[in-house]
Amino acid sequence: MKARILFLAIVMLTFLLPGAVMAQQFFDYFGMTLLPNGVGDSLTMYAEVRDPAPAVAPLPLDYDNYQYTLVITDLELVADGFPEIYANGTITLYEDNGTTADYASPATFTDGTAILVGAVSMEVYHLSNVIPTNTTGNGTGTVDWIGGTNLNDFAPEDQLGWTFLVATNSGSGLLEPGYDEVWDGKVEPQDIIVSTDRVTWDKLKAYLK
Amino acid sequence: MTKSFMKALVLAASLVALFAVPAAAQIHSIDYVGYGWTTGGPTKAIGDGFDFVGVADYVDPVFGVNLAAEELTFHVYGLLVVSEVDLGGTLMVTYSGGYMEIYQDGAMNADWGINPPNLTAPATFADGSLFFAGEFTDMTMFVFPSGGGNFEGNLNGIAGTMIDGSCTGCVYTWGGAFSTDAGAQIPEGYGLQVDGVLEIDAAVSVDQAAWGSVKALYNN
Repeated sequence: MKARILFLAIVMLTFLLPGAVMAQQFFDYFGMTLLPNGVGDSLTMYAEVRDPAPAVAPLPLDYDNYQYTLVITDLELVADGFPEIYANGTITLYEDNGTTADYASPATFTDGTAILVGAVSMEVYHLSNVIPTNTTGNGTGTVDWIGGTNLNDFAPEDQLGWTFLVATNSGSGLLEPGYDEVWDGKVEPQDIIVSTDRVTWDKLKAYLK
Repeated sequence: MTKSFMKALVLAASLVALFAVPAAAQIHSIDYVGYGWTTGGPTKAIGDGFDFVGVADYVDPVFGVNLAAEELTFHVYGLLVVSEVDLGGTLMVTYSGGYMEIYQDGAMNADWGINPPNLTAPATFADGSLFFAGEFTDMTMFVFPSGGGNFEGNLNGIAGTMIDGSCTGCVYTWGGAFSTDAGAQIPEGYGLQVDGVLEIDAAVSVDQAAWGSVKALYNN
């Protein structure tokens, strides 16, 4: 009987505790890419992470004190075509309160703390393959978070299978000198993520009274 | 100073103005995320509508908006499918009509809800003061075999404080990517999650003296 009451209380608290109903975690980014020269070569992206207030758990980003950047390296073009297939890349979310990210100096995107590190793969459709004058495209992929100082803010089952979405544009007026394309998109989990906040026995008893 | 010298001076100055090089274009942006839904029939059928509501998570500092204290919300409506072309697996969907409105609102109450349109969408994305209103001159969406895609549309600015203040004669481009399959991230009743950027090209025009007005100066 006691076990049954405890079970019902935990179910109730899932819906009563602050944070149980909340905006979902995602990383919205805007950046520049260096495209590979061909199959076997790699793509690199340097991007700034936008601030979708309010900050959400389980990884609330502190934009009052830090800048956040998202960097993709070693993303190998394994098959050309429509779509292009990319694999074996590393994606890193950096937290930095030192230098301001500057596309003229890519090192300013990687000089912070790597709070999340992941493996990334994707496919990218460049419309120039079907409409030669079109400069836009779209990419979708998967990110598995496998490292970083804040990896364990996410439960193990929430670390894998995040969606990577991007709009690409080689003709954008926002393209920085020396880069090939503007990439704008987001990285987000496929399923609802619940904060790993724990409930003390005293708080549980207080709700039951 | 003689009259002839003055005329020569005016002529020289006018010719300089006539051949002056326009200032470099300044590109500003507003980054946004949101969700869209289709109306009127099957997705992307002729006559089908596309609506979108979203929020900005970055705005160029030149516009003086503090996203920590107020929100910029997007409401796109009135777009209707006029043609679909299959490009060998990729669908090119062309729209006509359509408007974009951006509102600046200290209430920060944007709420997508479910099954739009509903009590909060688009209402909470169309409250506050009108920051920008634009009329689409063209809008094209590309749907790839994966089910996702990208879009790009151009607009004429027709109203809003952004136009009245810092941006006259600008060119506006709305673009981004969308996905139809993102698990729990798409609220019930919405068909697309959308992420992209509104580019504002603030090219500075240069006043040029027509030859007729130069002659008028010379003859006075």
